Amino acid sequence: MYGVMSRGRNRLMLAAAALVAAFVAALAASNAQSQAATANKVIAFNVGAASDPFFVAMEVSADAEAKKLGYTVDWQGAPTEYSPATQIPIVDTQFAQKPAALIIAPTDPNALQAPVNQFIKAGIPVVNVDTHVTKLGSVLSFITGNNANGGQNAAKALAKAMHYTKGKTYQVAVGLTSATTTTNVARLAGFKQEIKQHYPGIKIVAVGYSQSQPTKADANVSNWLSSFPHLSGIFAIDGTNASGASAAIEAHNLVGKVALVGYDAYATNVALLKKGVFSALIAQNPTQEAKLAVDDVVKYLKHHSKGGIKHLVTLPNIVLTPKTSAAALTKYTYPAP
Amino acid sequence: MTQQGVDAPGPQGAAAVVEPAEGADGALERIRTLVRGQQFLLLIALVVLVVFFTIERSAFISQTEISNLLNDWSTVVLLAVGETFVIVSGGIDLSVGSTVTISGVVAAKVMGGMTGTSEPVILIVGLLVCIAIGLLVGAINVLLINVARLVPFVATLATLGAGAGFALVISGGAPVGADSQAIEFTTPKLWVFSWPVLAIIAIVVVSYLYLHYSRFGRFTFAIGSNRFAARAAGIAVKRQIAKIYMLSGLLAGITGMFYFLRLGSGAPTSGSGEELQAIAAVVIGGVSLLGGVGRLGGALIGAAILTVVTDGLVIINVNPNWNQVAVAGLIAAAAALQALRPGRGLTSSD
Repeated sequence: MYGVMSRGRNRLMLAAAALVAAFVAALAASNAQSQAATANKVIAFNVGAASDPFFVAMEVSADAEAKKLGYTVDWQGAPTEYSPATQIPIVDTQFAQKPAALIIAPTDPNALQAPVNQFIKAGIPVVNVDTHVTKLGSVLSFITGNNANGGQNAAKALAKAMHYTKGKTYQVAVGLTSATTTTNVARLAGFKQEIKQHYPGIKIVAVGYSQSQPTKADANVSNWLSSFPHLSGIFAIDGTNASGASAAIEAHNLVGKVALVGYDAYATNVALLKKGVFSALIAQNPTQEAKLAVDDVVKYLKHHSKGGIKHLVTLPNIVLTPKTSAAALTKYTYPAP
Repeated sequence: MTQQGVDAPGPQGAAAVVEPAEGADGALERIRTLVRGQQFLLLIALVVLVVFFTIERSAFISQTEISNLLNDWSTVVLLAVGETFVIVSGGIDLSVGSTVTISGVVAAKVMGGMTGTSEPVILIVGLLVCIAIGLLVGAINVLLINVARLVPFVATLATLGAGAGFALVISGGAPVGADSQAIEFTTPKLWVFSWPVLAIIAIVVVSYLYLHYSRFGRFTFAIGSNRFAARAAGIAVKRQIAKIYMLSGLLAGITGMFYFLRLGSGAPTSGSGEELQAIAAVVIGGVSLLGGVGRLGGALIGAAILTVVTDGLVIINVNPNWNQVAVAGLIAAAAALQALRPGRGLTSSD
């Protein structure tokens, strides 16, 4: 029996060793370029959920801007999990490599303060993008989009698409990823505030969670269409919900009959906007956020001075409609590698 | 497994033992046996749930909503069918969710490059790609289980992670494709049925016959009941295991195509967590995680209960946070029900 188990264990270890070797070789190959760069020309860039198209767009933009300025970007982040538990070990690993600077989108303001402090203590400048650490004064600059403003813009766009008239009632549903996703919370707050102030006839009759699955978002919207036959509009609060909601609206032949405002200018969503499936899309500006962050860092590294660097930059969330010019649509579509 | 698990008769066994009994006692025993049958109780639970949601909102049995329910049932049922074969054989397949994702994303990439081709041809190619990817993942699982001798949990956990990762690499994190004509295929064409849903029902029927009325099915149960005895009886266990995991991969690939049709795109997160939905449907359906026991009918009803609860809570507009609690409660109730059945149990003492 021991012999059988031992052989089994040996094979298992052999398989595991082969897997690890293949993994290390693949990583070495993919990192060959960044290894070639000298350490003081490397800008560490760290985000939560690196595969999110919003962050992918940042990666594309940061890479291009850094290359233009003679630097390279060490892009890191957990693939799908947006959490400090997965982000902190990666930040610590980047610190061990002593980069010239760190650009980070912290997944939690308190939890990431200490990892950020170690960079500052070592004289490495830190810039925050999208989200920030608690002590905002400790970082060189903070460049972000305004999610609450995006929610307000979504309410305006939805009211316009539903031809809002004073005195009438409009049933609206909102698709979120979860109750705790920070960007969702800020957008929903802005959406509700705008409704309260300017569109009292709009009633939010249902809220649903997609748990990052577009099929679940699709199912939620399909069910709402049965449950609320007089539904006038839907606010799909992020890219995943936008994908699912647009599919449901198309499947039920309600394009143009139920107003749909989505979020995030994925290429697929922009294509559907052009076809009129979305009444409007709210686009963030990850390209500009990443570009400005790289510019700030390089400016500081060159002059060792904060002169000319704006500490807080808030970029507006843009409203795209089917009438938006083709050039503007191309400009705001999130780039992919 | 406990001593009771080995010796005590199952529901059918119990019925056979009481066969000679006559009069009120016999009738009572027969009723007890029927009521103890998990599928019967599940069916009752399903009916009660449907009645409850209909009383709360009559829209629940509207033509549109039945069509929605069928669409949502179809997203999980093929995975549950594949998982039933695997679990009955004493294994587990955690990779099915990732297979749904990767097959949908790769198919979307291939279909996206076929401009100028007619839509049906594009979709057939997409289906073939999904099937090929499903079989490939199944084959990798087979290699890991049969050749590297990893336990199925570890082997399929590896392919679960790898599949999800590859889907992100290939898609770059964003959905691939925006095919409105594909979505059109999922709209009802025959009363509440769309063509893909009818195809899925046909696959389910064939699978049912395959598991319960074919030599393949009998071998699957035999391996799950006692692998050594199955081998001693002349069953080529490794070959049978290979076929089972390939089948599970194949069904996951077909599900990947169905997801593409629903969304009109291959989304990099579309199948994430779906393996747990499938396993939940199977467990609710009374299939024992210990292997060798279960009916595919139970898994089908399990998937239907999950769908009815998930959609029903949306229809009656319950706070969505309760959805996960409700599904967890269903799994616990089903597991407890199994423990109460004579002979088999899923309690911690096992």
